[in-house]
Amino acid sequence: MNIRGLTKKYGDIVGIKDLDLYVYEGEILGFLGPNGAGKTTTIRTCLGLLQKTSGDVKIFGLDSHKDSIEIRKKTGYLPGDFGMYPDLKVKTILRYLLSQSGVSDDSKMKKLSERLELDINRKYGNLSKGNKQKVGLVQAFMADQDLIIMDEPTSGLDPLMQQKCYELLREEKAKGKTIFMSSHILAEVEEVCDRVAIIRNAELQVVEKIDSLKEKMGKKLVIEFENSVDPTLFSIEGVEDFEMDGRKATMIVTSNLDEVVKKISKQNIVNMSLETFSLEQLFLTYYSRGGKGE
Amino acid sequence: MKIGKTMLMELKNSWRGFVLFLLVVIILVGGFVYAYPSFREAFENDLEGSEKVGMEVLEGEVVKVRLSWEEFEHAENYSILVGESPNMMVPLDRVDGVENTYYDYVLEFDGDEIPERYFAVVAVRSDGERELVGMETNFERTTAFQEIWGVDYGDIQGFLSILWSTWWVLLIGLYIGYISVSVITKDYEEDRMDVILSKPISRRQYLLEKFTVVSLYTLAVLVIIGSILIGSVYSVGELNSISYSALMVSTLLSWPVFLGIISLSVLAGVYLESSKKAVGISFIFILIQYGINMVGDLTEGLEYLKTYTVINYWDYESALYGEAVGYFDVFFLLILSALLVVSALVIFERKDIPV
Repeated sequence: MNIRGLTKKYGDIVGIKDLDLYVYEGEILGFLGPNGAGKTTTIRTCLGLLQKTSGDVKIFGLDSHKDSIEIRKKTGYLPGDFGMYPDLKVKTILRYLLSQSGVSDDSKMKKLSERLELDINRKYGNLSKGNKQKVGLVQAFMADQDLIIMDEPTSGLDPLMQQKCYELLREEKAKGKTIFMSSHILAEVEEVCDRVAIIRNAELQVVEKIDSLKEKMGKKLVIEFENSVDPTLFSIEGVEDFEMDGRKATMIVTSNLDEVVKKISKQNIVNMSLETFSLEQLFLTYYSRGGKGE
Repeated sequence: MKIGKTMLMELKNSWRGFVLFLLVVIILVGGFVYAYPSFREAFENDLEGSEKVGMEVLEGEVVKVRLSWEEFEHAENYSILVGESPNMMVPLDRVDGVENTYYDYVLEFDGDEIPERYFAVVAVRSDGERELVGMETNFERTTAFQEIWGVDYGDIQGFLSILWSTWWVLLIGLYIGYISVSVITKDYEEDRMDVILSKPISRRQYLLEKFTVVSLYTLAVLVIIGSILIGSVYSVGELNSISYSALMVSTLLSWPVFLGIISLSVLAGVYLESSKKAVGISFIFILIQYGINMVGDLTEGLEYLKTYTVINYWDYESALYGEAVGYFDVFFLLILSALLVVSALVIFERKDIPV
């Protein structure tokens, strides 16, 4: 999935701006961003549900606009707001969606339903929000397509079902499927995704492997000294956000950690901790800094 | 084969409402036809005792006429009354003797137009009591209904044309308009459009299947109603006055009108995305069409207005009387519907699907 310079405007409002993103075959890419950042707009524009203003989207090497039918044959999709016919039974709905994908074998549909504890003989309108989401998940995976695009896949699911969903995602990935999913649950992205793309105010901020991103973002170093120290001691390249509170120094070290250690080695240290950022901290850092992590 | 799946799904989703509507229509149509014999009787006896009093023209057109009536038992003489309306009559003359049951009357008038008069024959009994023998006129009577609608409701064709021209288009048109809008807007509003269109089905196919399903619904309603009409007309003993094919053809000829309504409603649904707004537009269109047609029907000099309504292109009267079918009208409506559907397709293929 190759997105180049994708822009979507709603009149004067910019939904997404000049977005470049590549989703590799066989990976799970998590798409992060707060509400209104442009996640859903990106997904829906790629699927042709929204008309792009400019740019280019290629999926399986095919043009998303001209070859949309061919692309959709190989793509499963779970929208952020999944709805179906309230008066019809779940199995009727799932069989209809399966047949629309050109698949007649419903064995995977049945297996997925059993696994997610979904009663397919019930009317869709009588299901709880979580069970409706399960219908959405089943329909996204049941046709065994190569690319799965999901907008907030675990929305409305209880923690147990969320775990089952993660298992499912990992299994699909193991089978070679490519998954592009948006989420606002950072732990979920950290748990299942290979790479993460962060979008803010309609613009893509970063696309990185989670580990690389953590590496790039540095580590949080907290040192408690026995005596007061001169803050200029930490004027080292790679030390950011330095704060001195009494005898306690807090900083983010993105590089030259050995230099920092050498400098403090001459001081008496009471306590010291070096923490790797969680994805949540990374995300919040991106947003608090108001830009590309700078 | 994926063709027809969306159509089939829509049928599965909305058949209950359709069956309910069909039951209501069947009861109304059947009930209407069953009311025909009593209507006819009521209209035939519109002037009290008119079957007992006859009028024979003796001279000129109706300048000198002879009133004759059946002998009335116990009558001593008869009183003849005349007036310009059946409610305002004045005594004219007296005919003595129970056996004298005729009266010659010479109409005196100025100008070229012969005045229209009502006559009443009243029997005066020996005890002085008076009793109406009957009434008659020197002109061919029309009822107010006949004057307004310009049709002879006295036969089954005229009676059915009242059915067509009154609530038919309104009742079925409004229902069909609502359904045509809903098959599109409910997919938006109930959040299923995204999933449906994420499957390998083109927007064109989706929309055409939605249009087809409502068109077939309507055709099914019309075939069933045509059959109910034939059955009920037969059961009231009128199938010798009208052929079953005229009943079915006149019913089916309304299909192109409904296709126009379906196309417009689908277009409104696609464009406005909201059930309330699109149903509003559809209903306003139908009511305005109906209103213009009524004004054109009832107002002398404004008949031309009817050419601006789709309803006018359904010539049920000719079909009911077994006359030639207006193929141009059918063709015009089909072209109009096709244009509206193409417009809906063009808009739908280019639009953003709302969340």
